[in-house]
Amino acid sequence: MEIDVVIIGAGPSGIQAAIHAARRKVSTVIIGKRSNSASAGAHIENYFGVVGPIDGIELLKNGIEQAVSFGAEFVEENVVSANREGKKFIIKTEGNKEYTAKAVIVATGISRVKLGIPGEKEFVGKGVSYCSVCDCNFFKGKSVAIIGDETEAAVSAELMTKYASQVYWITKEPKAVKSLVDRALLAGVIMKSAAPTEIRGTDKVNALVLEDGSEITLDGVFIELGAKSAADLVMDMDLMPEMDDTIKVDGKFATKIPGLFACGDVIGKPWQIARAVGQGCMAGLSAADFIKVTK
Amino acid sequence: MVTELNESNFDSFVEENKKVLIDCWAPWCGPCRRMGPIIEEIDAGEKDFAVAKLNTDENQAISVRFNINAIPTLLVFKDGLLVKTLVGLRPKDEIINAVNGA
Repeated sequence: MEIDVVIIGAGPSGIQAAIHAARRKVSTVIIGKRSNSASAGAHIENYFGVVGPIDGIELLKNGIEQAVSFGAEFVEENVVSANREGKKFIIKTEGNKEYTAKAVIVATGISRVKLGIPGEKEFVGKGVSYCSVCDCNFFKGKSVAIIGDETEAAVSAELMTKYASQVYWITKEPKAVKSLVDRALLAGVIMKSAAPTEIRGTDKVNALVLEDGSEITLDGVFIELGAKSAADLVMDMDLMPEMDDTIKVDGKFATKIPGLFACGDVIGKPWQIARAVGQGCMAGLSAADFIKVTK
Repeated sequence: MVTELNESNFDSFVEENKKVLIDCWAPWCGPCRRMGPIIEEIDAGEKDFAVAKLNTDENQAISVRFNINAIPTLLVFKDGLLVKTLVGLRPKDEIINAVNGA
């Protein structure tokens, strides 16, 4: 589908961007899961006009309703790939929806990467990996586990079946769309519904311990929490992220790539809703202006 | 251009230079694509060590030899011996300090 502005991320910044873009009468799609926003689980009491504490998820629900009432389309899925072709951007979702956009606003926020269990830090590069696409080749014929509930875990689990001899997917509650989960299972992935508690090994990883006390003998542990990272997404749209994975923007929240904007926590601290919302407003207006100028 | 190593020139490069920094990478690896320009910058700057790149996909035997199972990995050799391994994307200064301190 051809769209003027695609917003990746359904947190406060992305939603505000959608409200302002949609009100400028450019076609707007906002893609993301509200539950993935850092604000979803927060109790908010420092946001103007809202006498809290209020549950963040309530703000997000209301915000999406507002954005939709102004004409934005809301797609509650993760983005699995983004590409730049000529002057346009091709955005694909986990549910196989595809959008060709003239402008993209990245408002993915920041996501947790580390698991924080014993053994994780010690075995990085010795069997622990945060990038299955990077490191799949080193685990040919070996036994591995993928840890994570979201799309990246599902995609990684399926990918690893092409390399490893045995692939376990450790997820208490898979949150990726059913089609991705089914594809992983069909490819031979063995799902384990228990939280991981420890990664064990000597000079290399040799086991993963689960909360039920069971132990899986393996060679590799791939930690793939959340959706595809903002750093990976923008690189596929020809933009280099900063060393700390943030995205650099100018005063109009535009990046170096024409038509690519960013706002909210993904461009830096402080991680505050008020700041994210203000930036979302600016980015939404800038993207709408960009569409009108290039029309 | 940073020197590209492979099975045929790896050992001689490591032996012929007193200190060597090797960036182990593969084309589809996002963090490796970010490390690339940093390594090029280090190579172009003033330094008292040699810099090279190793495509781990095309040179799997070397990856096995040095226990590489995550990329990007930086290997530091001194007098022909592996003295330091850094796993993951690092800023330029940290890399230079690591090599100088090796």
